[in-house]
Amino acid sequence: MTALDTLLLISAITVGVALLAGNWRVGGWLVTILYALQGAALLMMSGLGYSTLTVVQSSFSIEVLSEQLLWRFDALSWFFALITIGAGLFSSWFASGEWGERYRDNGGSLRLFHGALALNVFTMLVLLASGDLLTLFIGWELVSWASFLIMALAGGKAFGYAMRYISYAFAGAMALLGGLLLIYAEVGSFDFQSLKEAAPQMQASTLWLLVVLLTSGFGVKMAILPFHLWQAKAYAQTPGPGAAFLGAISSRMGLFAFIVVVVQLIGISRLVEMEIPFTFLDAQDLLAWIAVFTIIIPTYIALRQHDARRLLAWHGVGQTGYMLLGIVIANDLGSAGGLMHVFNYASYQAMLFMVVVAVIHRTGTSDLNKLGGLFTRMPLSYLAMLIGIIGLAGLPPMNGFVSKWLIYRSLIVDGSPLLFLGAVIGTLGTILSVYKLIHNIFLGQLRVEHVAVREAPLSMVIPMMALAVIVFVTGYFPGLVLDWTSAVQASIGIPVLAHHLGGVSMKGGLDMIWIVSVLLIGFGFGTLVFFLGGRSRRVHQLDNYAGGHFLTAETRYHYSDNFYPGLMHLIGPWYRNSFEWLERGVISAVDTLSTAMQGLYRNAHPSYLLLAAVVFALSWVIV
Amino acid sequence: MHFLELLVELLLMPILAFVIGLAMVLMMRRIGARIQRRVGPPVLQPIYDIIKLYSKDTQISHGLMHEIGIIMAVGGYIAAETLLPVPGLDGLADKGGAVTLAYMLMIPALGMALGVGQCANPNGSIGISRALTAMLAYDIPFILVIFGASYVYGTTNLAEMISIQQQQGVSSWGIVQMPLLALTALLILPAIMGKHPFEIYVAPAEIATGPMVEMSGKFMGGLFVMQCFQLYTAGVIFTTLFLGGGVYWITFLPKIFLVVAIPMSVAYLFPRYRTEDVLRLMWKWPMLLGLIGLAVVMK
Amino acid sequence: MNELDKIPVRQEISVAQGSVKRSNPLANVFDELVRFCQSRSMFMLHYCTGCGAIELPPAMTSRFDMERLGIQPMVTPRQADILLITGYVSVKTLKRIILTYEQMPAPKYVIGICSCTVNGGMYWQSYATAKVLKEYLPVDIYIAGCMPRPEAVISGLRDLMGDIKSGSASNWKRYFQNYDHYLGNQQKLFDEDWQTPTDIIAEAEHYGLITDQTLGEHTALLQKHQQPLEALEFSLGEKREKIRGENQ
Repeated sequence: MTALDTLLLISAITVGVALLAGNWRVGGWLVTILYALQGAALLMMSGLGYSTLTVVQSSFSIEVLSEQLLWRFDALSWFFALITIGAGLFSSWFASGEWGERYRDNGGSLRLFHGALALNVFTMLVLLASGDLLTLFIGWELVSWASFLIMALAGGKAFGYAMRYISYAFAGAMALLGGLLLIYAEVGSFDFQSLKEAAPQMQASTLWLLVVLLTSGFGVKMAILPFHLWQAKAYAQTPGPGAAFLGAISSRMGLFAFIVVVVQLIGISRLVEMEIPFTFLDAQDLLAWIAVFTIIIPTYIALRQHDARRLLAWHGVGQTGYMLLGIVIANDLGSAGGLMHVFNYASYQAMLFMVVVAVIHRTGTSDLNKLGGLFTRMPLSYLAMLIGIIGLAGLPPMNGFVSKWLIYRSLIVDGSPLLFLGAVIGTLGTILSVYKLIHNIFLGQLRVEHVAVREAPLSMVIPMMALAVIVFVTGYFPGLVLDWTSAVQASIGIPVLAHHLGGVSMKGGLDMIWIVSVLLIGFGFGTLVFFLGGRSRRVHQLDNYAGGHFLTAETRYHYSDNFYPGLMHLIGPWYRNSFEWLERGVISAVDTLSTAMQGLYRNAHPSYLLLAAVVFALSWVIV
Repeated sequence: MHFLELLVELLLMPILAFVIGLAMVLMMRRIGARIQRRVGPPVLQPIYDIIKLYSKDTQISHGLMHEIGIIMAVGGYIAAETLLPVPGLDGLADKGGAVTLAYMLMIPALGMALGVGQCANPNGSIGISRALTAMLAYDIPFILVIFGASYVYGTTNLAEMISIQQQQGVSSWGIVQMPLLALTALLILPAIMGKHPFEIYVAPAEIATGPMVEMSGKFMGGLFVMQCFQLYTAGVIFTTLFLGGGVYWITFLPKIFLVVAIPMSVAYLFPRYRTEDVLRLMWKWPMLLGLIGLAVVMK
Repeated sequence: MNELDKIPVRQEISVAQGSVKRSNPLANVFDELVRFCQSRSMFMLHYCTGCGAIELPPAMTSRFDMERLGIQPMVTPRQADILLITGYVSVKTLKRIILTYEQMPAPKYVIGICSCTVNGGMYWQSYATAKVLKEYLPVDIYIAGCMPRPEAVISGLRDLMGDIKSGSASNWKRYFQNYDHYLGNQQKLFDEDWQTPTDIIAEAEHYGLITDQTLGEHTALLQKHQQPLEALEFSLGEKREKIRGENQ
């Protein structure tokens, strides 16, 4: 029994235990321990993450249509599995305490929740372990259905959004299936190796079709443009920690499959050769531009949200763009940045969702216009959110800065000013919207109805704090994660980034140990300067300058709605919901078509068939 | 020994930045006064102001984050100054570079924004909303400038940029190599410094100095200190990218003072722009110039 | 018998004595330097209540240029050192003036400009005007006149500068030290449930400015009506839980 067998076995057991014991008081903790065990099994293979092991096979395999289906882990799978299991562990931990009890009391089925979460982790591990294109497709379908299950749990509206997801996922799966059949027709095998060998000889037209089919298939899961509409609403409606899990890792499966098939097997160098006629662009540029628009458009949609969960979920869509951009650039800096961003993003996105869920747990709302001033009431959650937003906005000293820096630097090295500009526009939009997030929830006026609010329970705070530590430490010592991404780069055949514990060793490199240390020391001196002044006295929030007006607790003066009026005055008319419009157009076209088909077969078929038969017969006779 | 030298450099850089920044604040106020045909403040006025603010007897705080915000604002600049090479002092220029510096400079802004948020004053929040919007406006052309400079010099390391310009003479200066980008930077400089005519986020008469509305005593003092760093940083970055930096302070100082003086002299002549007009302006002319400039240098 | 004897003589309030240690570490060590800087950097908040405000723009702009003396206009009480009250003070306005004054960080100085702030001036007979400003706030300097010219304003400010430099301008302490007296006058004018959002007593306690005349019958009345004004403190759960339990 190999380490991979152990991992998959424990993961399957987790699903069983979750379904069996999920409703018990200790059920959640049991499942959490099992996730920890999965993590331990994963650590048995940690050689993969440091290039000392190349591949771990599973001893389980079946033969279908003379094709050997097999499962195995390499550095890429290991890296993604690490994030998956980590996200599962923390989400389940978060759900095991008071949140779970409240969920059950409100009529939710914890058994189903834990089961769905465990099933998600299990199916993702199966997908990550896929050793050929057929197992990849099987894993892909499993993951789609598992995500649907957890999204649909909340029922009502959530079910509608989940249905929207599954329609997208079906379309994506069809595109993927088409791509795989095309590969089979061209290569004659579902084997990774044979595709890799055959790719350089493929005709450009076939390759174009293949790339379009595969990218749309994987892109649906990643929610890249123009398939981005389903994700935010579906994730935001997922119950509590489920949203944290999905937000952190679920849509990265699309990225994983993209890396495996398009980057590793077909190869970026092949994409560069595929020029688009009458433009200066090639397929790589096209993908990079899709990535940039995936950064910009969802980020600025997020800026307009006034529900904290939707805001975060839209940022999730936007951040995918950075990962794709880095990976498509495919030099040592960019791909390291893209891969590292997967890890970094998972760490702070899970944390941010957890904070928002904790706020909902305590106040009952995530509406950014109905909160405010919770800093004094939930200081630890505030700290977690602060660390999270600094990460999400990509500012030092958190880990998000390092991965974005790598991507920016790769674009400078690559000499692509417009892509760089696009990436920065996305970052600036993120800064604006995360400030709105933290300001509207935690800063400003504390409402009367929230005066008695308390800090979230320990079962929620500990996972948040653990993630906060991860975000800070991997920002301080990015080498920890860069070791893994280097192993991944080596295994998928991209130039490996020269790095050290503090960052990147190159001319004009980055040393986060110095940067963060100097920043912390700077804060120390800032404190000294601050305490040169006299003792300060804290005053009540109503003791506030309001132009001579007497403030009372009934006065709602927290500035929250339409937070950026100046900006919206200018760019507001640019939001045209074109994609929503497009989606509706496609839906109604499909609707019309299906009605026509139904009419053809159900109501009028005898006469039509007769007509068709006569026409056919006549034509046959005449010709 | 080497470590000790570095330590002294790291201590010296923020101190120098502060002292020069004080002089720049004085210059700015004097320019404003002269344009309005006034005498202007005495030479040591910025110091009087800061000492007075720090020595207020009662200091009014709106909570822990209000205090941490000010600490972040001052501390973040102290840290950022060590990434900014000046004559004789390279500091940590080789550990970060232009991109890192650009993002480090957002830390003080973030700290201030959080501190203001904690004050629970809507005027402050409105000010921050406007300031962040203005940041979105000027950072987009600014990033074009950073990209262009990195491309022309082939590095993001500011110390290397200086040595390239110093070795190859005036003809290799950024302002000769990429005049359009230099012009772009000059146009957005007053916005970066948050001065006229782009100080809608302060708007004293309308939103009671916006972010500063609840800042008293040492909190306001911290912001005065931050302003010194801000002017200094803007001057030094421009000088480093376009005016060849400097090997000696005697040639370097006039350059940075000139860089700060130009936008100041022009700025006081214009009325204030509204937020959306700032966006419109910044995304039109500097952006256009920047893109053309970039196209010229990248050919 | 002289008619004059019948006129009641207004009793000057006695200044409570107490060696107040200043809260600022700088101020204890470099006392003179701090006082000098305070005198050379005065941010003023002009509460333009009446016609006197019209004399301030010329005092600030090119003709007289206050900035050469380090005097600058500021717009919020938090940043200001001087409160300029430039004209008659109606009862309604006085409430805002007191609110604004209390929000200023000490050391703070009040300057009454125009005759109206001294004794009501031409509004002496008005039922809606507070006549004598110093009954409600400790005024440092009056600049009389109807209206005083910019030269007079600047001369008054220079007098204040001298006072600050010599350390004799400490009227702001009297507000804390004799809060009961000022509050009594305010209550007489406004009503007994009068309160501002600033907790003067707690501030006096925090900075050690409390004397036996800070508290009295008027502050007792205030505390009866006052909404609680403690700053929002951190809570991590435990204490809150108890309070909630008690309420239920």
